[in-house]
Amino acid sequence: MTADELKELLGLTDEDLKKPLPKPTKWSQPYWDAAKQHKLVFKKCTKCGHIDHPPYLYCTECHEDDHEWIKSTGKGVLNAYAVNAFAVPFPFMPDLPYVTAMVDVEEGPRMITNIVECDPEALENGMELEVVFQERTPEFTLPQFRPVKK
Amino acid sequence: MSKGEFAVIGTGEVPCGNYPDRTEFEIAYTLSRMAIKDAGIDKSQIGAVLGAAHIMGSEYNTEVVFGRLPEAIGLRNCQVTGQTVSGGASSHSIRRTAEGILRAGEAEYVLVVHAQRFSQFTMNEQAQYFAIAGSDLEFEVPYGMTYNALAAMVTQGYMSQTGTTVEQVASVVVACNRWARLQENAMFRDKELTLERVLNGRMVAYPLTAYMCNVLADGGSAYVMTTAENARKVCDKPVYILGEGSDYSHRSITKSKARDLAKMGAYLGPVAERAYNEASLAPSDMDIYEVYGSYPGVNLIVMDALGICEPGRSGALVEAGETSPGGKYPCSTNGESLGMGHTGTGCGFAIFVEGVRQLQGKAGRAQVPNARFLIDNCGGGAFMDCHFTIMGNEIP
Repeated sequence: MTADELKELLGLTDEDLKKPLPKPTKWSQPYWDAAKQHKLVFKKCTKCGHIDHPPYLYCTECHEDDHEWIKSTGKGVLNAYAVNAFAVPFPFMPDLPYVTAMVDVEEGPRMITNIVECDPEALENGMELEVVFQERTPEFTLPQFRPVKK
Repeated sequence: MSKGEFAVIGTGEVPCGNYPDRTEFEIAYTLSRMAIKDAGIDKSQIGAVLGAAHIMGSEYNTEVVFGRLPEAIGLRNCQVTGQTVSGGASSHSIRRTAEGILRAGEAEYVLVVHAQRFSQFTMNEQAQYFAIAGSDLEFEVPYGMTYNALAAMVTQGYMSQTGTTVEQVASVVVACNRWARLQENAMFRDKELTLERVLNGRMVAYPLTAYMCNVLADGGSAYVMTTAENARKVCDKPVYILGEGSDYSHRSITKSKARDLAKMGAYLGPVAERAYNEASLAPSDMDIYEVYGSYPGVNLIVMDALGICEPGRSGALVEAGETSPGGKYPCSTNGESLGMGHTGTGCGFAIFVEGVRQLQGKAGRAQVPNARFLIDNCGGGAFMDCHFTIMGNEIP
């Protein structure tokens, strides 16, 4: 169903169909700044080397503040997925069916993301993926993944 | 805790389902009187009242925190009141709070109450709340994550890694439905679900059809807890708390301690084992396994931890009818949230109270004959934690 059909059927406004955007924290802002430049980055502790994703105020391993943002290769592997078909929040209804997934990224973190540019029937756990960037608004770009073309 | 230090002596429950005219206050007051009467004590003996949280907020939460319950129930000798909340694990954290109050000697008898009325909210409000409650607002919700998507992902990963079939997942719903039909307060007491019907339900989030997703309901339950010493004086058949095992894993499923979904059961196994060991009992000593997973795939993961089959093989057990009424391993005898109805923070309370009824021989048509011991389970969040409790009507 298209956004216009939804509005007509359910009496929704444009506001009802706006997708939720991240509300960055002081410590996650660099992640979204990088995504805007089409870079996937992770927060890495410079003391102990631990990577926190999602990022937190200080290293959850050693409690140190010092950190760097490392750039990911953007390569990942599909761990598990769901093909959403019904009963999702209004803003996502025009996208049905869409895929939400857990992806293990090369640097170690596991992310919740979408798998795009792929027939859901062709999804297979363990398949190789690569990051792509969806510019959702001028302020926010979301890292998503698609199958690596063989 | 020392083994058998505390006991539950009485319970109350109201019908679960869509009851818009029955306020959460009416539920709480009704349940309190019921549980006190069932416990066979005078209301003046209750020294503490703990209320669970009403999901999506309401005047009720404020009133519980501001001490409405003891006044409305007429508890003249109440010394402590409050609210303990940890989502679907609230039944555990609130009971542990009750035990602490008893141990401190602040009260002789504690009343614990849960009440929920989802029907005061529109379907859209409920859908919007639960769509995102289980997900990280910054890193997951913008991707269209929902609670159902979370459970579907976990189920898909578990199935693919263990070889569990979708029929086996669906058979959990059928088994829960069989139990629910023996429960007078269950939402689905009059609705028979076959495997075909569950599998052919509307697809919500592959691999989950609508019947594999729990349904929100109004409802509530309550119980009275005391020390074992008091319990023996006032109650013919107290239900003792014999052992506990708990673990917290994560907020976001991506941070789960068990990285491998097939090994979730193997990760939870030692947690259940702690509870068995504390009770000096083995999995085979259990007459009932009160699992609250909230989604059929999660129920299978929890069953994998119980020591009744190899991790990853729970699906075959359920498919063979072993967890249904009359089976070798009666599981989730109130029908779980899938058959009883999902009452927010209340599913853990409902299954705990059902466990007490079973061990007191008050479980009606769902009664498992001569039940002596059981393992109770709950968890909350985005499957953030898991708790196992061994209960018995005697101390081994």
